[in-house]
Amino acid sequence: MLSLFRIIKFSFQDIFRNIWLTIITVTILVVALFSVNMLITIRLISDNAVLAVKEKINISLYIKADTPESEIIALKNKISGFDKVREVNYISKQTALDSFRDKYKNNQSVLVALKELGRNPLSPSLTISPKDFNNSNLLINELKMLDNQIIESRDFSDNTIILEKINNITKRVNEVGLIIIALFILTSLLIVYNTIRVAIYTHRQEIEIMRLVGASNFFIYMPYIWSAFIYSLLSVLIIIAIFYPFLSLLQPYLEIFFTDYNINILAYFVNNFAFIFGSQFIAILVINSLTSLFAVRKYAKV
Amino acid sequence: MIKLTEVSKAYLKNNKVLNNINLEVTPGEFVSIVGQSGAGKTTLVRLLIGEERVDSGQVMIGDWDITKLSRREIPYLRRQIGVIFQDFKLLPKKTLLENVSFALQVSGGTSQKISKIVPSVLKIVGLDDKKNRYPHEVSGGEKQRAAIARALVHQPKILLADEPTGNLDAINANEIIDLLLHINKFGTTVILVTHNKEIVNRLNRRVVTMDHGRIISDQAHGKYLL
Repeated sequence: MLSLFRIIKFSFQDIFRNIWLTIITVTILVVALFSVNMLITIRLISDNAVLAVKEKINISLYIKADTPESEIIALKNKISGFDKVREVNYISKQTALDSFRDKYKNNQSVLVALKELGRNPLSPSLTISPKDFNNSNLLINELKMLDNQIIESRDFSDNTIILEKINNITKRVNEVGLIIIALFILTSLLIVYNTIRVAIYTHRQEIEIMRLVGASNFFIYMPYIWSAFIYSLLSVLIIIAIFYPFLSLLQPYLEIFFTDYNINILAYFVNNFAFIFGSQFIAILVINSLTSLFAVRKYAKV
Repeated sequence: MIKLTEVSKAYLKNNKVLNNINLEVTPGEFVSIVGQSGAGKTTLVRLLIGEERVDSGQVMIGDWDITKLSRREIPYLRRQIGVIFQDFKLLPKKTLLENVSFALQVSGGTSQKISKIVPSVLKIVGLDDKKNRYPHEVSGGEKQRAAIARALVHQPKILLADEPTGNLDAINANEIIDLLLHINKFGTTVILVTHNKEIVNRLNRRVVTMDHGRIISDQAHGKYLL
């Protein structure tokens, strides 16, 4: 107990009497942690962006123009029962026309052409949203095999091409994301490793003196391990104090950018607080302690 | 007290820094080990504090064969032998009082023991009025006094002084030697490693002269020969 008390005392003495070294070490740890948290934020934003795009993807099934609405509703109900379908929306001829007019309200030539036609040329349709974007192709196959005379077009080639493109893009985004994450983590690890090594290097004379006056290994190593604990704790507390206001500032801009989508990075960090910052604390503590252990061992060799 | 039997040590092959050394120091002796640079004096000190291991031979301190010492036992050896160095080796971020206390703290000394012994050794070396100063705030002689105080807190039977006056002016050097003589008077065996001719001649005590890793002279009341 007395030894533990002395070790903690030596460690705090060292932290305060080498205050500049402490400030620099903690600052570098905070910068490394900030990079990691920024990466988590960017990853969340990109995941949400991809999800938003995927949610926009739907499959349109065009119905013959003269089909009675009751048959269309029956088909809609049938498709709604498919296990791969999240939602089916019926767009009547009139709704399609209204939407078309609204879309081209600033294009007079299109509107004039529509007027000259004298009738509604648009077909009714069913807009089908898949439950899982990744199963879209399976759903398209099911729709292709659907036996119903009222279906006008079963050509989903455009959908397939778009799905493939999106799949390729998201795959690429994920791959690049993983590489960037790996590089960031590696860089952060090296920075932290080097910072602690430098901090211990400045204490090499002290370590030499400790062993010359007969300090046991426990007394030589433990103050540095305790300092590593304090550095880790301080840096995580500081990053929490910095990152939450930063996210609060960022959140309104994200909401504007992702209108109609429920993206709340701040809520994600709040809900996963223990996991995000707990794992960061454990990771940085393990790195700091191991680095301290190896660095001290180098100078404490008998 | 200390007995070296046929001790040899080489850092490079065919280049022995200690060559078949036989030396015996009895309790309470004051022995000066002299010799030019490279004679093997510092290696001898390093062997005695377990910082180096012999290639062959045996080093006994009391009944303790330190040639067979495990790494775990080395701190215990160092608490039995007080050591002072030319460059003082004080912890720069600790006050003189803390430096002296540190040696006892790391060996598990109780707070009562520390508060009893430390002020008394600081008084012996004449630093009781400067105990709260940091090493950079005192003179070279005072730093060496603090180092001696630190070496004394374990009440060692042996005090090794490796060139303790090397960084000091003549006045301070003489004061340190007087302090070592004073400590020797109380029964502590003192081994002084030096190449300071004036100090050795003034002492008129046992002088062991080394050259190229060998003992070339061992005189009970010797002078600096080289």
